[in-house]
Amino acid sequence: MKIKKGFVVRVVGGESVVVPVGELSKTFHGMINLNETGAFLWNFFTEEHTIDEGVAALCGEYEVDEERARVDVEKFAEIITQNGFIE
Amino acid sequence: MIYDIAGLRINIDNKCAYTTRFCQAYVSEDQVSPYDIYATVTKEEFLEEKEKSANFSDGYIENICLYRSICRQIPTLGRMLLHAAVLEYDGNGYAFLGKSGTGKSTHTGLWLKHVPSSKIVNGDKPILQYVDPQFIVYGTPWMGKEGLGCNSKAPLKALCFLEQAKENSIKKLSNAEVSARLFTQVLLPEEEENVIATLDLLDKMICNTPAYLLKCDISEEAVKTSFETLTSTAYEDRK
Repeated sequence: MKIKKGFVVRVVGGESVVVPVGELSKTFHGMINLNETGAFLWNFFTEEHTIDEGVAALCGEYEVDEERARVDVEKFAEIITQNGFIE
Repeated sequence: MIYDIAGLRINIDNKCAYTTRFCQAYVSEDQVSPYDIYATVTKEEFLEEKEKSANFSDGYIENICLYRSICRQIPTLGRMLLHAAVLEYDGNGYAFLGKSGTGKSTHTGLWLKHVPSSKIVNGDKPILQYVDPQFIVYGTPWMGKEGLGCNSKAPLKALCFLEQAKENSIKKLSNAEVSARLFTQVLLPEEEENVIATLDLLDKMICNTPAYLLKCDISEEAVKTSFETLTSTAYEDRK
């Protein structure tokens, strides 16, 4: 899984937001708010990685058990897939 | 023709006479020196807008497209468009924001009525410039359907989001609350550098400008409520 090119991630008012740029901004309007985990996973999946790698990365970054991390990564993957953000 | 708008020299290349009349109060005395921004409307942009605004004249449609072109170019020059009605009182600017129909012009109209020295800098679409540590708000020729505003500027002291209510109250908003509300009131450009610059300007605005939520009706009490909190002045002492 890999997130499409054409988004910028920026911290605005202490929170991470994602906004489309260029061609993508013509088809996707608006912005996406990311919590801390979301911002971490977004950056992680701007490179090609599997769900399992995402779970391992999340466990390495935060004190979270694998089961919980898998729930988070799968939920994240579901949302970005549904919205058409992956290549 | 070159215009002085929001502290920038803007070369507007329009085909319809509408914009020439519309911007006449902003014509630069210096038509020779270099300009900061060039704005014109391509045939494609014009036709796309004409489809959305079929009932308007070609001049009006070109005019809308020109401002959009300008506002998409200004973030890298430290400026952005804000959808707000901005008042000046005692040398300071106060921006009132809310979705269309929440009563921005009603509330600012009440200020004009009850606070005699207040005036409208721009009733709908001012440009804001970040000049560390604050924002400067500029009047521009584009000021909404009521056409309220003037060619002036003021330091922005506060943002005030409006919601209609039966009773008047005002409270300070957290950064997260401001962020969610502010994003819908700015123009996000398409080009990457200008998107990043816009987000950085929004960050500065959220972190550096106090923001409030005013729940209000259309009485004088509504003005008293916002006036006292925004200006830190007793209502009886207003000028």
